[in-house]
Amino acid sequence: MKMDEISMSSLDNSKLEGVAQDILSDLVEDACLGLCFEVHRAVKQGYFFLEDTDQETMRDFEIVDQPGVDVFGQVYNQWKNKECVCPNCSRSIAASRFAPHLEKCLGMGRNSSRIANRRIVTGNNTNNKSESDQEDNDDVNDNDWSYGAEKKGMMGPRRRMDNQESPRMLMKDEAFPQ
Amino acid sequence: MSKDSQMRAAINQKLIEMGERDRLKELLRAKLVECGWKDQLKAHCKDVIREKGLEHITVEDLVAEITPKGRALVPDSVKKELLQRIKTFLAQHSTL
Repeated sequence: MKMDEISMSSLDNSKLEGVAQDILSDLVEDACLGLCFEVHRAVKQGYFFLEDTDQETMRDFEIVDQPGVDVFGQVYNQWKNKECVCPNCSRSIAASRFAPHLEKCLGMGRNSSRIANRRIVTGNNTNNKSESDQEDNDDVNDNDWSYGAEKKGMMGPRRRMDNQESPRMLMKDEAFPQ
Repeated sequence: MSKDSQMRAAINQKLIEMGERDRLKELLRAKLVECGWKDQLKAHCKDVIREKGLEHITVEDLVAEITPKGRALVPDSVKKELLQRIKTFLAQHSTL
């Protein structure tokens, strides 16, 4: 039923008025119901009679306006100058530096695993040169398998999936048996 | 469905589809707050709640007590303005 099929000319003014009144009536009913639901929720959630609290209790919750203290009366820069003792290394660290320090100290968190991985890679490189035999040395100098120089590019995106047992690491000894 | 109710249904549908019903609803709500209707009714709610008891009040209680009074308390000026807008909409969105 499309609106343009209905000719309003068939409606006289009184009918139009009637329709408009009905629409208004619906809207008013909506508004009343809305209020009822709002009030009912306020009652059940306990905040309906909030503004009727007695003066005494109201004073307890007044906004605090003192320096060094927030609107609730709590001191907010209490922790700026505090120092914490690290449970791992037993050093005394400033509060704002505590979280990053813990990350490195405990060896958890994103940064510390990045650093650790880098150390492994550079550690492997230097180890290879001094400890491994000729065969392995060749491998390291091979462009396909060099670890140290490529670490930024190759290691970057793949690093997360790699662990010590990854095929690449294991195959290093097997590749190019001479 | 009689032609009349068909026509009314179509009008309502158009009102909703074009978002006009929501706009009218918001307008009415704003006007009712402005003129103090909401506060008046809220005060009446408080009386009803105190009478029935805070713990035992139900939505049905509130609806039964509030709706008739709410309807009666809508000021004429607000009614007039809303009716005007509705009639304008009806005139604009139907072929004559």
